[in-house]
Amino acid sequence: MKNKLLYLTGQSLKKKIKSKWFLVVNILLVILIIGLINIDSVINAFGGKFNEEKEILVIDNTKTSYQILDNTLKENSKMVEDSSKYHLTNYEKSLKEAKEEVKKDDKILVILDEDKENYMNATIISNSYIDTLLYQILASSINSTKEVVALNKSSIDINELTNVNKPIEIKREFLDEEKNEAGENMEMIMSTVFPIVILPFFMLSIFLVQMIGAEVNDEKTTRGMEIIISNVSPKTHFFSKIIAGNAFVLIQGLILVLAFIIGLIVRGMIGAKSIVSAEIFDLSGLINALTNSGIMDKLGYIIPLTLILLLLGFLAYSLIAGILASMTTNIEDYQQIQTPIIIISLLAYYLSMMAAMFNGSIFIRIMSYIPLISCLLSPALLVMGQIGIIDVLISIGIMGFTIYLLIKYGLKIYKVGILNYSSSKLWKKMFKAIKEK
Amino acid sequence: MLKIEHVTKYYGDFKAVDDLSFEVQDGEIFGLLGVNGAGKTTTFRMIMKLLDDYEGKITLDGKEIDYNITNKIGFLTEERSLLTKLTVKEQILFYGHLKDMKEEDILKKLDYWLDRFDISQYKNKKIKELSKGNQQKIQFISAIINNPKLLILDEPFSGLDPLNVELFKKVILEFKEKGSIIIFSSHRMDHVEMFCEKLVILLKGKSVLEGYIKDIKKQYRKKNIVVKGDLDKDKILKIDGVVNYEKNANESIIKIEDESKIENVFAYISKCKNITKFVVEEPSLNEIFIEKVGEAYEK
Repeated sequence: MKNKLLYLTGQSLKKKIKSKWFLVVNILLVILIIGLINIDSVINAFGGKFNEEKEILVIDNTKTSYQILDNTLKENSKMVEDSSKYHLTNYEKSLKEAKEEVKKDDKILVILDEDKENYMNATIISNSYIDTLLYQILASSINSTKEVVALNKSSIDINELTNVNKPIEIKREFLDEEKNEAGENMEMIMSTVFPIVILPFFMLSIFLVQMIGAEVNDEKTTRGMEIIISNVSPKTHFFSKIIAGNAFVLIQGLILVLAFIIGLIVRGMIGAKSIVSAEIFDLSGLINALTNSGIMDKLGYIIPLTLILLLLGFLAYSLIAGILASMTTNIEDYQQIQTPIIIISLLAYYLSMMAAMFNGSIFIRIMSYIPLISCLLSPALLVMGQIGIIDVLISIGIMGFTIYLLIKYGLKIYKVGILNYSSSKLWKKMFKAIKEK
Repeated sequence: MLKIEHVTKYYGDFKAVDDLSFEVQDGEIFGLLGVNGAGKTTTFRMIMKLLDDYEGKITLDGKEIDYNITNKIGFLTEERSLLTKLTVKEQILFYGHLKDMKEEDILKKLDYWLDRFDISQYKNKKIKELSKGNQQKIQFISAIINNPKLLILDEPFSGLDPLNVELFKKVILEFKEKGSIIIFSSHRMDHVEMFCEKLVILLKGKSVLEGYIKDIKKQYRKKNIVVKGDLDKDKILKIDGVVNYEKNANESIIKIEDESKIENVFAYISKCKNITKFVVEEPSLNEIFIEKVGEAYEK
């Protein structure tokens, strides 16, 4: 019987992996993941206007503001790591000639005029729409220029003026000695990053539920099940489906991780630099931030606990899928009966995303102990520092006990359900099966 | 020998099989008959160990059936039990492995049977691409690939043309010759009559008739007289011992109570004109089946 379990598991796994769609989908996935990780390089490689330096012509009718505007624009651009894209030119020809240049070469014209009431007013002329970021930087820089001009006119000392413009230094103190500023920043970053990290695992759990259901129904609807079950016990058949399904999603998960690693290697080889300033998209910056925050030390237990919960989650989802599939008589019925499971999985994922917004929520904390939800939510809360190792261990314990119950009672249902071809009195039959010794 | 002893099976409060007992010796073909819902499929499922919560005992060669014994059983279900997305080769390999057969052995036998059924060209075709008749051949091959000691055939001729029915019959008889126990179920009584030495007729899970066909026919007293000629129906029905009279395109069938009434009929027929045929025949199994099941229904 052990050989038959191995054979059935192997067959089930082989059928999935040998499928041409598995190959096609995974080639596409690997290309997409590598492409996404290197999306900035891909965009740069194709070129386009976004990469061209934009010339901004300035007609400074105040005769004193150009240099100030140039300085503030550089400062503002530096803040958003966008400095290389624009440069200012103090334009001294006529307005008409300036407009012609704007129209011909798609430049931007800024006219600064004196204003007795408001110190200064400005006109921005362009041939077409200006991108939002540039407009905001430009508007902010003109405002800052106006402030400097105003302060100059108020006869404030230049050092004083510099101090006024300096950003405020905020000191951060923690009463808990284990906490630090880097950790706080990391928590904010991880609350954004973690849902992205667990997204593939959420998708794989959905995939697992659908795959096991389809396979069991396929054998059941052709009545091949009668031949199979007359040669192997329902228990062997059940476990072969569970093991093969879990092995398949693990292989699929491994392929995704490998694709991610290859993507990073490619990124390193081509020496890509992020075109997006946000830290979460700047992988090298993210790794530095992780190291500084001290979270790397915690990964020693975060990763194993997360993996254990995810694996237990896969196992629990697959057991439920197998049990439900045995109860249904066709794939349409199964699609309906699996909906609550998909919703539970979705709930787990959304709660993981929302956990950062509701820091300290008792409801979310309680939900992190609930089996099926805990596999995604518990690691998310652990990473964000909202729960500790003990809480995760409790979740693992509850999940383990749930799996034990699913195997104990699920097998009884599977044994009856797998050869049941009628949906009449279905639940009665299943409850009766559970009660049987 | 397959032995079914006092087997009773309930589905909830419904008694699907009621104290069923029969024996089938090695090299015997046994008919398990009954109308729809009589308990045939349940009986097959119990023999195949698909159901184990029944009362009574089922043994093959003195051993209770378990998953080692089912390796020696071949089962052809009434409905298609093929995994249609697989190719013929994959399907037979799959079922062969489940019977603990070695791959080399399965492939050797597969080639033999594909050649025998003249479908070698479909070896690498998907089952869903085959015709109904060819699918039935594959299903039959999957049932016999392990040279079964016990072969259960539920409506084996479904979807087959007369030529292929002959081919199937030949193979089934070869297995009988080799000593296999064959249980055969069909709604076609002519097929059952042609094959089976022994049978049981089930009704509502209970046996209403069982034994060797020759004995059953012998015990069944009514006979048929087949006559060709000009007959007067009203006069025949008035003859002492005539139970029924039917006329088809060429012949008339006169049903009599028992052999002693033949002379009464003959006395009348000898006076009729254009008589070219007068034959006394045993009743068909179909007639016995209809009558026995009908009687039991009325009870």
